[in-house]
Amino acid sequence: MGLRGYLLKRAFNTFILILFVITLNFAIFQLIPGTQGVIANLLQNPRLTDKSIIGRYENQFGLCASYDPATQHCVLATASQRFGKYFVNMLTFNFGVSYQSGHPILDDMIGTGRLYNTLLLLGVSTLFSLLIGIFIGVFVASRRGTAFDTGWVTTSLVTYSLPTFWMGLIFILVFAQDLHWFPPGGVTPFPTGAPLPPFLQQIPTRIAHLFLPALVLTLYFYGGHLLLTRATMLESLSEDYITTARAKGLSNTKVLFKHALKNASLPIVTNAALSFGGLLGGAIITETVFNWDGLGHWIFSAISYKDFPVMQAMFYIIALCVIVANFISDIFLGVIDPRIKYE
Amino acid sequence: MTLQKRVPFRLIRLKNFFLILVKNRLAFAGLILLLLFVFAAAAAPLLTSNYPTEKAGGKLAPPFWVSYIYGNARYSQNAQFGSLTTYTNTSSLGVSVQSTSLGPNDVNVTVRSVAGGTVIVGKTLDYSYSAPPSEMFGTLVVTPSSLSLGSSQPQVAVFFDRIGVREWGPLWNDTLKPGLTSQTTIRSTDPGLAARLGYQSGTDLGQIVFSAKGAYRYFVMINLPPGQFQASFLIKQFSMSLYGNTYGLMGTDFTGADIFSQFVYGTQLSLMVGLIATIIGIGVGLIIGLLAGFLGKMVDEVLMRFTDMMLVIPSLPLLIVLASVLGSSLWNIILILGFLGWMGFARLVRSQVLSLRERPFIEAAKASGAGTSYILARHIFPNIVGLTYVNLALSVPAAIVGEAALSFLGLGDQTAITWGKMLESARESFTGLAWWWIIPPGLGIAMLSLSFILIGYSLDELFNPRLRRRR
Repeated sequence: MGLRGYLLKRAFNTFILILFVITLNFAIFQLIPGTQGVIANLLQNPRLTDKSIIGRYENQFGLCASYDPATQHCVLATASQRFGKYFVNMLTFNFGVSYQSGHPILDDMIGTGRLYNTLLLLGVSTLFSLLIGIFIGVFVASRRGTAFDTGWVTTSLVTYSLPTFWMGLIFILVFAQDLHWFPPGGVTPFPTGAPLPPFLQQIPTRIAHLFLPALVLTLYFYGGHLLLTRATMLESLSEDYITTARAKGLSNTKVLFKHALKNASLPIVTNAALSFGGLLGGAIITETVFNWDGLGHWIFSAISYKDFPVMQAMFYIIALCVIVANFISDIFLGVIDPRIKYE
Repeated sequence: MTLQKRVPFRLIRLKNFFLILVKNRLAFAGLILLLLFVFAAAAAPLLTSNYPTEKAGGKLAPPFWVSYIYGNARYSQNAQFGSLTTYTNTSSLGVSVQSTSLGPNDVNVTVRSVAGGTVIVGKTLDYSYSAPPSEMFGTLVVTPSSLSLGSSQPQVAVFFDRIGVREWGPLWNDTLKPGLTSQTTIRSTDPGLAARLGYQSGTDLGQIVFSAKGAYRYFVMINLPPGQFQASFLIKQFSMSLYGNTYGLMGTDFTGADIFSQFVYGTQLSLMVGLIATIIGIGVGLIIGLLAGFLGKMVDEVLMRFTDMMLVIPSLPLLIVLASVLGSSLWNIILILGFLGWMGFARLVRSQVLSLRERPFIEAAKASGAGTSYILARHIFPNIVGLTYVNLALSVPAAIVGEAALSFLGLGDQTAITWGKMLESARESFTGLAWWWIIPPGLGIAMLSLSFILIGYSLDELFNPRLRRRR
């Protein structure tokens, strides 16, 4: 099996996974107390088939199979047709309308800048946690057993086991409430609707708002990367080719980064992709703590409003992101690791 | 081996196991930490006399030991007036009084009046803090009985007295009628109270009265009209509590409930959630892993594809969705956490079983006619027990943090005061963050998780030959 076969197999698996997620999502939200009752209630309404009435529930439950062209009345869908319709809606990102705002969910997600805010926060913290984790992990592995090693391992275990919400609260308490170094929350201080100041002037305030939430996420995630890098580096440092490289008289940095890290990088890449789900979970909590108006904070407010369409859509999108991240890491691994193509 | 021989053998093995664990410094630290938490959870009712929701001190009071850091000029603690004393008629000679004590707050006073006068029943307190209390709360119930009087009725009133300096009152007064109970609740936060005494409305009376150290008296005065009669008054629940502006080891929350008590009872809940959810998860993972690994073929394929799917789905969003759909009682959350935490372990067990399956001793067992369940229970399972311990220890933190995260998002059990719930209330109380309210629960979560992680990693090093140090 060559690279193409491998990729096809992965793509097929990914597709199956997406179907599984959609089915799971449908099943969970059919279980909500009340959903079945609402549907049964609607189906008993004799005027339901009228377009003006059913249109309101159309996206949420998919009650209508088709419209009769003559009377504009709808032909009610069976349960399996509803599922089919739901399926198509999910695949085409047609999530319906939010209970809170009354706007289409996709508009609320992208048009309000929530997606951008989340991507900014996650991007910055992923970048820093990966950089810090890998660099320190490499150095720690090269000094195994020293106080430097134990110190960093303990520190990363500690920051790893500190819950993100607590870290966030402590940072707000110390740096925002007591020292006033950073704002306690929010994305920007600029009022909505008013003209924004020039971009360059925005940068310092934006960084000030971004700093604490990004710090929390970075501190939470660098530990995992560090420990994994250390473990895989320890393994590859004990290989014979490292001894060879050292015997050749290569500098320590060259041995560590060019020979050991390169060979140890595969699990790190996989882990970075796999930790994406955890990152999104962390984002929900961190955004809530800091009132960071992103997707995570949106999920939180959807929970408190029982805004099920939003929760449903967000769960689907997060799962989709994770699945796609895994797929990309699979492709990446297939391309850089020649052994994988012939599993 | 017979059973009699087997038991001591297992005990020795257990002892050796603990000795190895104790020799490892990190594992030892973890073990000590865990024991501390288990002790706190088990001895919760002995460690604190307050229930987690019961009012114990002033609202948002920091711990008492802040006075050692910042000096005690600004701090007070809870204070109680002593037990009741009846003062014989101080201002008139027309009454003789007999009193029977019914408890520290209850007394029955019998009066024989010749020409009317005053009866005083009071309590004293030596107030030793330089700062006033943050609030006061008192009650009083007076029931006159066998009152044989004409038209004029006795009056009752309540006063504060800084002995030898001045009096404040009446905080409350009423006319006593035969057989009818007069009662009151005195709260320093009641804005009308200060106004009635001529201070600006809304002022806390406690700030005015207890503005200095000294001896104080809190008393009920019953004014008897002139005339010859006999009467008895039943005075009950005559109490006055002063809630200090500091309280206990960890202070109070915004309702005045004791945070130490919430912390200790929260330890119970966290340990329960963590252990039960993990045991469920490990159990499910063990069964699925054993079946998939040993039976192989279709069973393996189906189970492992399902495991992979569950593994990819992000856990916190799924937890949130399930908790908000299925309801959020504590047991529900434990079950959800348990049934979402088996995937990694199932894969691990499967891979172990796959390699064990090919070993000669399994073939020998098969050849001597052992059935599938016998081989799984007696030959395969004992070989993966070590893995089970390691994963038990390493999965507990995830369950604890998961529950705390759900509670923090407001999806937890609203009646159970867990550590996550404490953090949620601290954030939602709109009073700014109080450090004494935030640090204990978070530190609890972190330290409890850390203790399990430390133990788990050491067990891993013990059971996993690949991780053993080269000597």
